[in-house]
Amino acid sequence: MKEKVKIGIISFEHMHALSYSKALCNIEDAEIAGIADADEFRGTQMAAEFNTKYYKYYKELLETDLTGVVVCTNNKMHCQVSVDAANKGKHVLVEKPFAVDIESAEKMLKAAEDNKIKIMTAFPMRFNSNVLEAKKLIDAGEIGDILCIIGINHGKIPSGWFLDPTLAGGGCVMDHTVHLSDLMRWFVNSEYKKVYCECGNLIHNKNIDDCGIVNVEFENGVFASIDCSWAHHKNYTIWPQVDMEIIGTKGVLEVKACAQTERIYNAKEETVGDVAWNESGDEGLIREFVDVCKTGKNPFVSGLDGAKAMEVALAAYQSAAACRTVEVEHIQI
Amino acid sequence: MVNVALIGCGTMGRTHANSYKNINNANLIGVCDINMEKAQSIAKISGSHVYLKFEEMLENENIDVVDICIPTYMHKEYALTSMEARKHVFCEKPIALTLKDANEMVRFSEKMSVKFTVGHVVRYFPAYKRAVDAVGQGEIGIPKLIRTTRNQGFPKWSWEGWYMDYEKSGGPILDLIIHDFDWINYYFGDVERVYAQSLNGKAKEQDHCVATLRLKNGAIAHVEGSWAYPEGSVFRTTFEVVGTNGQIEFDSLKSCGIEKQINNGHHITSYLSPTAHSMEPYQAELREFINCVEADTKVSVSGSEAVKALQVALAAIESSLTGRPVTLKNYIH
Repeated sequence: MKEKVKIGIISFEHMHALSYSKALCNIEDAEIAGIADADEFRGTQMAAEFNTKYYKYYKELLETDLTGVVVCTNNKMHCQVSVDAANKGKHVLVEKPFAVDIESAEKMLKAAEDNKIKIMTAFPMRFNSNVLEAKKLIDAGEIGDILCIIGINHGKIPSGWFLDPTLAGGGCVMDHTVHLSDLMRWFVNSEYKKVYCECGNLIHNKNIDDCGIVNVEFENGVFASIDCSWAHHKNYTIWPQVDMEIIGTKGVLEVKACAQTERIYNAKEETVGDVAWNESGDEGLIREFVDVCKTGKNPFVSGLDGAKAMEVALAAYQSAAACRTVEVEHIQI
Repeated sequence: MVNVALIGCGTMGRTHANSYKNINNANLIGVCDINMEKAQSIAKISGSHVYLKFEEMLENENIDVVDICIPTYMHKEYALTSMEARKHVFCEKPIALTLKDANEMVRFSEKMSVKFTVGHVVRYFPAYKRAVDAVGQGEIGIPKLIRTTRNQGFPKWSWEGWYMDYEKSGGPILDLIIHDFDWINYYFGDVERVYAQSLNGKAKEQDHCVATLRLKNGAIAHVEGSWAYPEGSVFRTTFEVVGTNGQIEFDSLKSCGIEKQINNGHHITSYLSPTAHSMEPYQAELREFINCVEADTKVSVSGSEAVKALQVALAAIESSLTGRPVTLKNYIH
């Protein structure tokens, strides 16, 4: 039997670790070789669920013969954990946002380069079938040249460390801007130049930005707006919402990445909910990472892509604080 | 009975003429247009007298109200002339192209003691009214994030192409999304500052604009308007109001009552959303004005409210041209 690619999961602090682990289980030539989590209760529970070994300290997990690790710690920890993993020669998949500041992102990218490993950002939307189809249509010229994009990434407010800016790097502007800023940069094929943002703690009273509109401009003149608000209340029928209205010289694409749903009315529980019938993108993301681990190829969505998407969120916070447009500070690598 | 004379027998003129037919205390006694054919076809609706010259129509002493349905750049001239002749004035939106002109119209109506209103008809659209009612009843808590869209193709149909001449129409920011500026301004709060992006003539026969508004009460609004959709696109409006306790969503295409599919060489889908007689918005705004004239009460949409909406639109235009946010000055009239 062919040997399986050994992947470690570092932390379930970010709940996406769960869906990534499930996706790993569906890939024949990959296995979860260990789970590290500083939270012993959560870690042992997950290790039991996925039938693998538990490590309290991630550095111990990094000493084993893994090929790659999935980093789902809090955002602040991405840097330290990724650099340590890179130094141990492991390929790294980092949950988004890639990092919480430019300096950390540079360290992570440099560590990857120095150790000749690949670092990849967990942007599952890049593997969403609607998004992939949109990219294909755009590249085929079906809507002509892109003129502007209006994006919405609404969702419910998360809990725990997500609401602590020292661990999360910010609120909704950090959490939700990056998905769309990555996709838009990929579609437009140009770098970000200018950012304006209005945001604030408006809806949920959790002392962190939960509402935000980010207006951006690319080097090539295309403009876009990103609504990154945690705008959905608890009884909203679906999570999340990732929409883009792409205006081109020959037509318009309306992309609703997570709208392939059906509605369930449960009379017993008195609930109404929409459930997705299509795979969101997690599976493709994990498959790609396993491929990277197997072959050492450049990932379809890189660490640098993650860093570039993060730059927009950082600029947005600067803009909101100063009440003016700011030039995007680009990572030096 | 209130006697009305209408100037401008285009699309809006026809809409208004049809509305008067259903307003018991209004009598459309005269219609005026430089195009005899158009004037005659609208005069037929209520058996009105046809005038080719506005001055001649004004000489008719029986006229109480002049209804102005001509292009924006002519509003001031015809409004002032009507007020001079002591006629009450209903003026289509937007009030004018400049604050100076708009303020002059408001001041002159006060000086001549005539009633003056502007057709900010979105306030009368049933779906928009229903949302405002729900907000008023506290169904979603305090409104904090408002998104509106108003999208269509390039308005090539207009007389002498005046919509396409921004010197005459102000473009989509001033002509189209001023509807939403008024709605937001009036029901959700005064605007503190505006940041806007627009194609501003960069693309041939296409324009698309977004404006981010920060209201004085802290709420954020994202207002989108398009003249960039392909020719033949269905006119579509949406809104979303997110409050501290819930949210309201509306999409004109998703909540219309009839979807019509026909094939006359090309397959065409169209969407119809007929409203109950009592809820027809153009009729409602005109009826309300006629009642105000008859009972000598305060108008619902005051001239100074129209000036406010204009001020937001002009700030948005300025922002889209300079690339900087514009803080609104305390408006004076």
